[in-house]
Amino acid sequence: MNAETNHAVSVTLRINGRKHQLRIDPRTSLLDCLREHLQLTGSKKGCDHGQCGACTVHINGRRVNSCLCLAARHEGDEITTIEGLGQPENLHPMQEAFVACDAYQCGYCTSGQIMSAVALLEEPCAADDGAVKELMSGNICRCGAYPNIVEAIQRVRKKSGARKKR
Amino acid sequence: MAAKKKPLKSPIGRKTPRVDGPLKVSGAAKYASDFHFPDTLYAVPVEATIAHGRLTKLDPGAAEKMPGVRAIFHRGNIGKIFRSVKGQGMEGIIDERRPPFEDDVIRYYGQYIALAVADTFENAKAAADMVRATYSRKKPNVALELKPDNDPAKINTSFGPVPRLESERGDARKAFAKAAVKLDQTYVTPIETHNPIELQGATAMWEGDKLTVYEESQAIFNMQSVLAQMFGLPKENVRVITKFVGSGFGSKLWPWTHCPLAVAAARELQQPVKIVISRKMMFQTVGHRPRTQQRVKIGATKAGRLVSLEHDYVYSKSVLDDYQEDCGESTAFHYRVPNLRVHFGRATRHTGSPTAMRGPGAVPGLYATESALNELAAEIDIDPVKLRVLNEPKKDESLGVKFSSRQMLECLRVGAKKFGWARRKPEVGSMKRNGLVLGWGMAGCAWTAGRFPAEVTLQLRDDGTARVASGTQDIGTGTYTIMAQLASEKTGVALDKIDVVLGDTTLPPGPISGGSMVTASLIPAVIRAATQTGGALFNLAINTPGSAFEGQKADALTFENGRVFAKKGGPARGVPFRDIMRRANVHLVSGDGKAEGTFGEEKPGSSKHSYGCHFVEVTWQPEIAQLRVSRVVTVIDAGLILNPLAGRNQIEGAIVMGIGMALLEETEYDPRNGAPINSNLADYMMAVNADIPPIDVTFLDYPDTSVNELGARGIGEIGLAGIAAAITDATWHATGVRVRELPIRIEDLLE
Repeated sequence: MNAETNHAVSVTLRINGRKHQLRIDPRTSLLDCLREHLQLTGSKKGCDHGQCGACTVHINGRRVNSCLCLAARHEGDEITTIEGLGQPENLHPMQEAFVACDAYQCGYCTSGQIMSAVALLEEPCAADDGAVKELMSGNICRCGAYPNIVEAIQRVRKKSGARKKR
Repeated sequence: MAAKKKPLKSPIGRKTPRVDGPLKVSGAAKYASDFHFPDTLYAVPVEATIAHGRLTKLDPGAAEKMPGVRAIFHRGNIGKIFRSVKGQGMEGIIDERRPPFEDDVIRYYGQYIALAVADTFENAKAAADMVRATYSRKKPNVALELKPDNDPAKINTSFGPVPRLESERGDARKAFAKAAVKLDQTYVTPIETHNPIELQGATAMWEGDKLTVYEESQAIFNMQSVLAQMFGLPKENVRVITKFVGSGFGSKLWPWTHCPLAVAAARELQQPVKIVISRKMMFQTVGHRPRTQQRVKIGATKAGRLVSLEHDYVYSKSVLDDYQEDCGESTAFHYRVPNLRVHFGRATRHTGSPTAMRGPGAVPGLYATESALNELAAEIDIDPVKLRVLNEPKKDESLGVKFSSRQMLECLRVGAKKFGWARRKPEVGSMKRNGLVLGWGMAGCAWTAGRFPAEVTLQLRDDGTARVASGTQDIGTGTYTIMAQLASEKTGVALDKIDVVLGDTTLPPGPISGGSMVTASLIPAVIRAATQTGGALFNLAINTPGSAFEGQKADALTFENGRVFAKKGGPARGVPFRDIMRRANVHLVSGDGKAEGTFGEEKPGSSKHSYGCHFVEVTWQPEIAQLRVSRVVTVIDAGLILNPLAGRNQIEGAIVMGIGMALLEETEYDPRNGAPINSNLADYMMAVNADIPPIDVTFLDYPDTSVNELGARGIGEIGLAGIAAAITDATWHATGVRVRELPIRIEDLLE
């Protein structure tokens, strides 16, 4: 990397509970930082304009399009990516539900869908399918697995609701 | 007494969650741009900002001096990139045949004129933005009205020469002139852009004269053959790797110019070069569904019997290329009609080359013909379902052969029943619910069926696991899972004990992921590989000292559910394959299976397609001019469905895309500079979650063994055929407006 010639900035990012000390070009988006500098390639680039949602991550528990964030602005924030949510042998309930409900096809938008879905359940979102569809409409799935995405989210909502009641 | 072990239930036809699911949901699945190699450089192309003219000067000077920049490539320094030619079968295919930078002529907006390569993406992007170009401009032609070029009767296409008179029987013109009822309408479909969410790109690296490319290809062996030609290499020196594809819908079938640019840059710089094109470039340089303008003339009796059908269409093409949009794909066989003529022309435009997009030809074509049928039904006051029943063909009248398996009438019957079609009141605007006007419409669909050549290798291991491999791709269609299901069915190994390996040209050649034919193609190859593997096991079983089958004849044995047993003795006295292998001290046995293709066969014994129909309800709120699709019932006759979970998802996804096609999608070109002006995902609207109503999908599940042993056809594309015609018909039923140019716009419906 030839970052020094670019007036590189030092930044410490906290991602999936781990600290990363970086010197990066200040123009680097959080998405490119994750993908190209830290090899956290689960977050995907689909438009680089905040229009598709494939790059969705959590910053301090809220869903954010990481392509619209400059990495250097997020020192001190708690960043969670799909890799931090769960791993193939240790899946988060939302990840499990996506597999069980076939809530994807090609899988490319899936990380973003799941990060959105997990955050949505903490948002003031009504419980009906219509509300879920509306609040998931910032995540485009060109394969069109929308019915199954809604089913997966509702499955997790019902299970976690049942847990909370107990 | 020990509990009797339940026999393993067949995985074929069982709802099977994807075997690659855990990788996909955890971000661990590696798509082409997810691979990292030391010393990788980043490339960003420079786009022409005119659509017609000549590049008179390119000034890379300022860009070259920018931080981190390694090179600005252009026609003067990129090195040799040769032309490729069409080879045998599925080889050497490319829609934009001209190698990048070959000349200074600009033929479409966004054509690459230079390539910035730097140590970081940010530096490469900044440098690309600083490259200055000067042009001599001419006014581009991106006109919407398609007047056919003055083409000869036979034209060249990406697949070879074809006559423009596609199909003819009887005398359609004469029959139309004499027909009691005449319908003559023109239907228009716009340029649509595939827009898979994964951006196209490649990482290219050289080791001496060996080239490795990570690309998201729907056809890795074709890409290998094209790159070998472009860089003057033996095919075996080119390796293409595609582990996961972020969908393609046709846009990733054949290579595009960014790939040879990355390869050439890597050759010049002797370092890996990674390129990922922007969403804007996805509208410019990687294909689109062309615009079509289709005149349909139907002559009929007053009772609704078709006497003539003429389908005369024009599609847009680029300046140099010969992609063919075969809108007549289904026209000649889908209806019973004695007099028919299907003919086409082309209209050259200053756009990038069009390419196959999901259901190429049939999707715009069936939109036109099925719409015309619906208009005819209204004209003679007959139910549109009944009209189709009346004109159901007994055989393929274009080829004069029987259909392999066509359950169109059952599709219509089941669909109508599930939808409640009998309650439809034919008068426009007569049906209401909760203050909304309802519109009900329907249409039929079809898509070709067949096989491409396929080779598969299967291995059984002494730990009881298996590996099955083929050089095909999983583009989201579920091929990893289908392969595991097939291998599990034939070997008895559980799904989670099977490694499926795809997407690498070092594997035996597999089918292209196009035409909805991968599953159909793989079935016979996996079965044959399993038979070969069984034979290898029998040899071990009869030749290994101490084996239960020692000294027996190989042909007296059989292999089922993971156990070898004597045909006479039955499975209860069988031996698990791993025990046979361990006793013989053999780690693995393997077998190869190869099956020829049927696609493009000269004289088919039967006409092979999938069929189906869509029933659609829209709601119309005239006060605010809001039209929404509120319910869809679809019935598909696609042979045996191997995985109904992924299968239903495929059809639902196609309907989602069809709702976009009918109501939202159009790539618009600025007539001043020829630029696609809505080249981003906010302005090119595609259906989002909130647009999608409940979708009810039924598969009839009649195996069609003319296609393969299990009777599976294909389901990737058919769901998008016909759906737009059903939506426009429902829209007419609600509003009284016949929209004959997609997409339906609010202004079309304002009185």
